[in-house]
Amino acid sequence: MILFILRRILYAIPIMFGVALVCFSLVHLAPGDPLVSVLPPDASAELQKQLRTLYGFDRSLPEQFFSWILRAVTGDLGTSIASSRSVTEEVFRAVKNTLILASFATLIGFFFGSLFGFVAGYFRDTFVDKLASFISVMGVSVPHYWLGMVLVIIFAAQLNWLPATGAGPGGSADWAWDWAHMRHLVLPAITMSVIPMGIIARTVRALVADTLAQEFIIGLRAMGLTDFGVFRHVVKNVAPTALAVMGLQLGYLLGGSILIETVFSWPGTGFLLNSAIFQRDLPLLQGTILVLAIFFVLLNVLVDILQSTLDPRITRQ
Amino acid sequence: MTQRFHRRVGLAFAGALAAVALSLPALAQEKVLRIAMTAADIPKTHGQPDQGFEGNRFTGIPMYDALTHWDLSKADAPSVLVPGLATSWSVGATDKTKWTFKLRPGVKFHDGSALNADAVVWNVRKVLDKDAPHFDASQVGVTASRMPTLRSARKIDDLTVELTTSEPDSFLPLNLTNLFMASPAHWDAKLKAVPASVTDAAERAKQAWTAFAADASGSGPFKMARFQARERLELVANKGYWDPKRTPSIDRVVLLPMPEANARTAALLSGQVDWIEAPAPDAMAQIRSRGFTIYSNPQPHVWPWQLSFAEGSPWLDKRVRQAANLCVDREGLRTLLGGMMGMPKGTVPPGHPWWGNPNFDIKYDVKAAQTMMTAAGHSAAKPLKVKVQISASGSGQMQPLPMNEFVQQSLKQCFFDVQFDVIEWNTLFTNWRKGAKDPSANGAHAINVSYAAMDPFFAMVRFTSTKTFPPVSNNWGYFGNAEFDKLISDARSAFEDRARDAALAKLHARIVEEAPFVWIAHDVGPRAMAAKVKGVVQPRSWFIDLAPMSIQ
Amino acid sequence: MNASLTIPTTNVAAIEQSPGYWSGVFKRFLRDRVAMCAAAVVLLLVLLALFGAFVTPVDPYQSSMLKRLKPIGTEGFPLGTDELGRDMMSRLMVGARLSLFMGITPVLFAFLIGSVIGIIAGYTGGWLNTAIMRTVDVFYAFPSVLLAIALSGALGAGIGNALISLTLVFIPPICRVAESVTAQVRSRDYVEAARASGANAFAIIRTHVLGNVLGPIFVYATSLIAVSMILASGLSFLGLGVKPPEPEWGLMLNTLRTAIYTQPWIAALPGLMIFITSISFNMLSDGLRSAMDVKQ
Repeated sequence: MILFILRRILYAIPIMFGVALVCFSLVHLAPGDPLVSVLPPDASAELQKQLRTLYGFDRSLPEQFFSWILRAVTGDLGTSIASSRSVTEEVFRAVKNTLILASFATLIGFFFGSLFGFVAGYFRDTFVDKLASFISVMGVSVPHYWLGMVLVIIFAAQLNWLPATGAGPGGSADWAWDWAHMRHLVLPAITMSVIPMGIIARTVRALVADTLAQEFIIGLRAMGLTDFGVFRHVVKNVAPTALAVMGLQLGYLLGGSILIETVFSWPGTGFLLNSAIFQRDLPLLQGTILVLAIFFVLLNVLVDILQSTLDPRITRQ
Repeated sequence: MTQRFHRRVGLAFAGALAAVALSLPALAQEKVLRIAMTAADIPKTHGQPDQGFEGNRFTGIPMYDALTHWDLSKADAPSVLVPGLATSWSVGATDKTKWTFKLRPGVKFHDGSALNADAVVWNVRKVLDKDAPHFDASQVGVTASRMPTLRSARKIDDLTVELTTSEPDSFLPLNLTNLFMASPAHWDAKLKAVPASVTDAAERAKQAWTAFAADASGSGPFKMARFQARERLELVANKGYWDPKRTPSIDRVVLLPMPEANARTAALLSGQVDWIEAPAPDAMAQIRSRGFTIYSNPQPHVWPWQLSFAEGSPWLDKRVRQAANLCVDREGLRTLLGGMMGMPKGTVPPGHPWWGNPNFDIKYDVKAAQTMMTAAGHSAAKPLKVKVQISASGSGQMQPLPMNEFVQQSLKQCFFDVQFDVIEWNTLFTNWRKGAKDPSANGAHAINVSYAAMDPFFAMVRFTSTKTFPPVSNNWGYFGNAEFDKLISDARSAFEDRARDAALAKLHARIVEEAPFVWIAHDVGPRAMAAKVKGVVQPRSWFIDLAPMSIQ
Repeated sequence: MNASLTIPTTNVAAIEQSPGYWSGVFKRFLRDRVAMCAAAVVLLLVLLALFGAFVTPVDPYQSSMLKRLKPIGTEGFPLGTDELGRDMMSRLMVGARLSLFMGITPVLFAFLIGSVIGIIAGYTGGWLNTAIMRTVDVFYAFPSVLLAIALSGALGAGIGNALISLTLVFIPPICRVAESVTAQVRSRDYVEAARASGANAFAIIRTHVLGNVLGPIFVYATSLIAVSMILASGLSFLGLGVKPPEPEWGLMLNTLRTAIYTQPWIAALPGLMIFITSISFNMLSDGLRSAMDVKQ
């Protein structure tokens, strides 16, 4: 077991290195001068050179990559070109906000997903199953940025019940778990939850149906096990995978929040990514992508470890 | 009966209690004005704002002073120059490149240090002297191009400064409205606080400026109180401001970046903010019906396509340039903007001292335009391809996407096949100084950057002089010749007001006739505010003064 | 959106052991009413994409300021007009072309490229397999939305760049499926026998492997179309895909956002089209998958 955990962690290291390499090359693929937003248009060649040295853009690409990676390991992701602020600070402030949104959305998604999935799997091939399955297909098929817009139209523009944008009356720095702030969270979190809801529902439905069809359950039933007893068995069989899927979904939401954060002006990583892209702020862009991808890799490792602890029968790869 | 009586008394009592309870905190409550800006990030706070003139409007003028100010106190007259930190100024009797500025005595920065000649010299050096320890390259871009002839500053005595220009330039006092005075003492304190582990002098200066931006100190009517990157900036009243007329009665101003017109509109309607810049045009009626006030006033602002005269540009033919000017359905465009648009006849309107009666009349005349285009060899079957670089948002850009799309459709009837290159606003703004021949232009034949036409340099000179070719200034399209250089130098060396205006009128008339722009719209600066915001004066300017406003 | 990116368990053994397998799949698929409905909708959308431009009631590019944002049901404009007064119905019809093109093309390219790489990796095994699959793992470590947006953000806006980014996003998952089914087939006796007899690798792949692996990979790829549709429109919605004035549903959704206070339901229409398309593709792919699942 411990060996498995160690191997899993060791295996993640080259992946993370690869991820960093991809982030770096991605950004240097970008056309245009990286100093476009600070270089004065009438800068002398000398000043240009001085600035390039200051930002380290005068060195060879491998050299830049290794110095970036070495500093990244110590937590220093460089300085944003457009805002002159530390990238690490910018990214982690945004990560906190996205984490609030994504975890809330995952919880909603997990609750309803399990509910629909369980009902559908338990009453397989009945009308209830069809309905629950249809809802979960809708969940994975809906363009969530559009759903966000529709929710804003109904609940903000028409009914004026909930705010359309932002992270609370005082911005995200004043975040508190009170209604004044939570009401800003409702629409984006619901919008974001439909995908994990659909995915978890589909997973749970398949697992429940499979478990119920398994011989030992049929046998247990024949031996007079109560419905509650069957239910317990099913939950025990379904829970590890469902939780694993939920963990992975949290990772996807962290990295895939850009569209929803743009619709709701939520000051998270997606919002930051959006402005880094449109301002051509390369250090900020590569820093944000790196942090999100590393989060995702680590979450994957964690999920694997937890899953194999919960259910020792599973040994992935 | 008694029961009902009791209930009534009870109700009245409860009502009175509620009234007291409501009014008590209201009395003590601080007066906060919350503003949604159109910028995507908070404009830089260290004294030389980015994000176009919206930056000057919200993190420049409220927090800082300059040597000269715009008069923003009148809605019914052009905004003119008034003394700011300088009480008076004069140009040298013999050497017209030396100016003497007398400083206002007794002005203090927010940190308590004195604003004197040393501070002014320090602020000139921060952007013009590459050897100064506090030189900040990131501030040069937005500053140097707005005061192109200023070269250096010298202290005469504590309250007198001598400024030197590279050539005689009667526009200098106007340009100086853009040089905001930051506190040298406060910056020095920030420099001292940089950890000793940072040894490189340039790196230390850079970190000091970053720290200064997070906790700035100017001398303006508002002080920086709280800064949260990308989300909000809070300013509090500077009750000790030197001008009693501009000492704020509002306690706190909260500035929020909201690049999307819709998000701003929603924020206003739901009471999240009290004031939004540029509301969504389609929501104007709804905003009015919900009791908000919409302020607007024609601004010295031009929303054009600036044309390229680089080799191979389709605009080299004057007939094509004039045809495009005649082919834009400005009336239809105004409908698109819910009436929030001024219709240009040139860079400045008729009646302006610089108007000058040009002999080319800008109007909507498709027939005439088609004739000109046919004469130039173009037809519906063989349309003229032009590419325009535009942004999706930005300070003063109004509603760039639908507006450009509308102009594209409008020009189609005169055989133009318009393509767009949509880029981010700050990038577009930077490209503007790089010129049509730079790779950043991406092969575009025109650029859509709206500009302020407040002073002659910004309104005309920078677009028509051979000395302002990129990368020096914004003559993006390389328009210029000996005739225009002569007109400009005549105006620059006319230090007497009326002679200067007459010279500028000649220049303006020639610009309209040569049409280096397609003049498309003037902004009227629509902004919507809650009824409780009082004392709002929207001047004929890009700027607006927060200081005299109050909240009921 | 990421559901389909999880690898399906495909039973290769079932495919190769019954000669009438595919006709059975087809019969089962025909009996699936939901899948048939979805297939009909998809067919309709494809027809719209191919011929929509020829049957639009009004020129979809023709704008008119006087007729802007007319409500649904206006005479001459059954679905109203957009923010520049263009006919919504015509634009939605013509929009099908670019939207479907942007959604399907990346999956098609990724299917071709990913299959080749995956089959090579699965067939050869050894260090080549390790090298390919570890590289795939690295790309797999990015959430798909993040990778798509980061790539097209770095490359810059435009249809071509959006297609490249989405193709790159879908290659790794397809490659993984291709590798795993190929590895299963490779370990079969008859393939081992053919290899032992010294037959040329390409010949073995062509005769024994392709027929057995392409089906499952293809079915998996169809499940990605819905994701691809949503992502492609999402890129346009952010301003990283199609540029104005081309009608594309994601971009239309973006430009119509300013109208949510005046004509909210018109603003929501393009998103509804994306929704209908992606749900149909999802149900179609679900139907295919369960028709292939012999256990049923």
